[in-house]
Amino acid sequence: MKAFDARASFIGPAILTVALLAAALAIAWPQFSASPLASANVPPMARILFFDAALPRMATALIAGAALSLSGALFQQVLRNPLASPTTLGVSAGASLALALASLYAPALMAFGGDLVALAGSAIAGGLVFLVGARKGFSPFTLVLSGMVISLWCGALSAILVLLNDRYLVGLFIWGSGSLAQNSWQVPVGLLPKVLALVVLAFLLARPLALIELGDEGARALGLPLAWLRAAAIGIAVALSALVTSAVGVIGFVGLVAPILARLTGARRPVSFLLWSGCIGAALLFLADEAVQRAAGASENFLPTGAVMAVLGSPLLLVLLPRLKTRHRVLAPSLPMSDFAVPGYVAAAFLILALTVAVWLGRDAAAGWSFADPLALRTLLPLRLPRVLAALAAGAMLAIAGVILQRLTGNEMASPEVLGISAGATLGMAVALYWVIEPSLTVQIAAASVGAGAVLAAMALLGMRAQFAPERVLLAGIALGALADAIVSFLTASGDPRALFLMRWMSGSTYMVDMNTALSLLGAGTILILTALAMRRWLDLLPLGPAPAQSLGISLGRTRLALYGAAALLTAAATLAVGPLSFVGLMAPHLAREFGLKRAVPHMAGAACIGGGLMVLADWLGRTLIFPYQIPAGLLSALLGAPFLILLLGRRS
Amino acid sequence: MSPDPVPKPLLRRRHFLGGLAALPLMATPRAFALGKYQRIVSLDYALASTLLSIGAKPLGVASLADWNRWVVDPVMPRGVVDIGSSWEVNFELLASLEPDLVLTTPYLEALRPRHESFAPVLSIPVYNGDGKPVLPAAYKATETLGDHIGLGAEARAFLADADHRFAACRERLAGTTDSVLLINIMDPRHARIFGAPGLYHGVLERIGIANAWTGSGNYWGFRTIGIEELVEFGHPDTRLFAFEPLPREVMPKLETSPIWQALPAARSGRFEVLPGVLMFGMVREAMRFANIITDRLLRT
Repeated sequence: MKAFDARASFIGPAILTVALLAAALAIAWPQFSASPLASANVPPMARILFFDAALPRMATALIAGAALSLSGALFQQVLRNPLASPTTLGVSAGASLALALASLYAPALMAFGGDLVALAGSAIAGGLVFLVGARKGFSPFTLVLSGMVISLWCGALSAILVLLNDRYLVGLFIWGSGSLAQNSWQVPVGLLPKVLALVVLAFLLARPLALIELGDEGARALGLPLAWLRAAAIGIAVALSALVTSAVGVIGFVGLVAPILARLTGARRPVSFLLWSGCIGAALLFLADEAVQRAAGASENFLPTGAVMAVLGSPLLLVLLPRLKTRHRVLAPSLPMSDFAVPGYVAAAFLILALTVAVWLGRDAAAGWSFADPLALRTLLPLRLPRVLAALAAGAMLAIAGVILQRLTGNEMASPEVLGISAGATLGMAVALYWVIEPSLTVQIAAASVGAGAVLAAMALLGMRAQFAPERVLLAGIALGALADAIVSFLTASGDPRALFLMRWMSGSTYMVDMNTALSLLGAGTILILTALAMRRWLDLLPLGPAPAQSLGISLGRTRLALYGAAALLTAAATLAVGPLSFVGLMAPHLAREFGLKRAVPHMAGAACIGGGLMVLADWLGRTLIFPYQIPAGLLSALLGAPFLILLLGRRS
Repeated sequence: MSPDPVPKPLLRRRHFLGGLAALPLMATPRAFALGKYQRIVSLDYALASTLLSIGAKPLGVASLADWNRWVVDPVMPRGVVDIGSSWEVNFELLASLEPDLVLTTPYLEALRPRHESFAPVLSIPVYNGDGKPVLPAAYKATETLGDHIGLGAEARAFLADADHRFAACRERLAGTTDSVLLINIMDPRHARIFGAPGLYHGVLERIGIANAWTGSGNYWGFRTIGIEELVEFGHPDTRLFAFEPLPREVMPKLETSPIWQALPAARSGRFEVLPGVLMFGMVREAMRFANIITDRLLRT
């Protein structure tokens, strides 16, 4: 029986690997049949193309696919998390951001060693994700959610940083979207020994890892240093993906798909799981890359394999959602302490201070700082006020949306970005840009709203089945976010100048807002925030868990739908003003809680003041710091928010 | 002044460019012609360089800080104000400048209502994404601009001069059979290659040099490719030109590539790095490119 098992676990994945390889070779066949291998008299150029472009590209695909999949398999094995992978844990994106930062601000560092930079970036991103995860007992859901959030931020930030620094040079887009094109053996030959070394280490760990399967007590009884084992395996996984990212950029989702295929085809025991994940991954990326090359030949545009993989792979997350066991998490019991006394006044005072500074203090043609006198204000107020009001409304709305999501899910990484709404808006904008070359503001707003609405509808459909269980909905949202992100990066990789427009929009500037827009934003914000405040009872009860809430006569499905709907509308409106990424929806609710505002109404009011104030401040800094140039408020708040997030997570754990 | 100083390379080229700048039409800042508008701000590099070329000095130009990196020639006279990036011109600054004309492109159409609150807006299409050749569009745009600001005669004189210069380049290149590949190297594995309907391609047609890249590009006349794709376009008499900016670490890596080494066009003497020429330029940039490429092609 045992022997049969072993054989069975060998046959399935082997057949799959061979099938994938055969498909890849079939597509690649024209290259071989016209190659020097097939006939002696090929022109010298064809010879070189075959030996120094086609073959190294295939080798790179195989090595990168194997490395990423082994990395994903290690993550899945050690974390016992079927959705873990370099992509879903933010590790690849961390490397990508670190490399973008290094090549922009410390090119010397890149010449010294891109690998080390990538490794540092991966380690930091992974470290953050694990920091959050550790506090929730490494719940699969929390890990993947934080990983995806960090992934999206890193990806967006690196693209925007490149954009702001180099208007016509879009090289990093290509690199960031994972192209496998080669013109020498440099990349594969450089990558192979490093990957091999890590593979050997991984297999040395495989047996002890297998023993962990017996359960922690059993393993401990055998004298295994559990913590060290896990740390070492994760370290290897991080290093594998960092090396690949440093060599060819981010290649999405191979590291997630291949291990899942390995498990589905029967490779269940640790050693064979790792082995077959690697093999299937290599064959899979090879196949994908050959298909992409064939498609690229037919199309006008440049197709980076990594981005194509991400487009195909992210919907898979949706399919896989039911595999995750979810359970509701209970927030630390909220003490009915300080209602809106001192902390509330502090928050309100902060908001008023921010508004005052933003309206009166500015810089002029001589680049000197000055408070505007009444006469100057007559010119300046119509210019400054719409932006200040839009920032205020957007910041407050994002903060409230954050409060709702964090209270609803009990997850501290929950923020409007993960709903996928803003990603949907981005996608809508991208589609509009590719149909209408110079969209007017109305077209832009319409496109973004349609995109956001489509995501909302998709979420509602997907969520319905699971009674809007918070974790499902969030993960569905972020999977859609990843899809939008992948499509956008895919579009931008072609180097089309319209990509710059999209990036501009994503960086979240209040520049386009005029008084009418600002006032309607403010109006929408007021209505939506009042609606949210009206839901205070639900928001006080739901954090206690589904059972107590239900016993008080709350219909879970409908309540959650209403709350998600409110959060989605708040996010959609705010995204139009300050773009799809700003940390405000994450920061403000946390800060308000830190201040001691724990019950729903004070929490929301405090968060709205803080969020609005932060956004106003970010917008003001963006307008004045590098006068006459400007930094978009969304980007600035995200840049300021990232260190904040790290501090917050570091302090509490 | 004769437009075709026969080259003794480099030094003469400098003279030539110097001579270009000293032409009466685009003389010293003090001699700028007076058109209908005195306080023009330009949100586009190419429109700003066209202004200078027909003898109008702008009051403010967007992204002036990077002018010397992307445009280089013509030299921007002193006293022109940097008004922030073209995407986000600083409105507070614009208000204080009190312009009487704002020059933009259809690319910034969404901002038009905002710009109109400061001054009348003239939006001039050159790169409007219709896939039509850029150089003729640039000619037309120059006339439109000149007529609008009351310097129509100067604009036509400038264009006639451009015609002369293109013709002169064509004459100088009469015996040349070389074709060229024009690229921007982005990293050791990728490049952007320029073809129809772009500005550079239009110039090549005017000066009678074949573009060895026959593949199509996007609306703007370029396409992103893997370096290895250059192999298919390697005739023995093709010369390869890469525009600045060239990322620092690229060439050492590229030079070790067997494909790069095998490119006839990349062999020494056939591959050269050209100073940057604004890829979204107009006639002035086309002239600059024509001169640079002619000099390089003749310096075998």
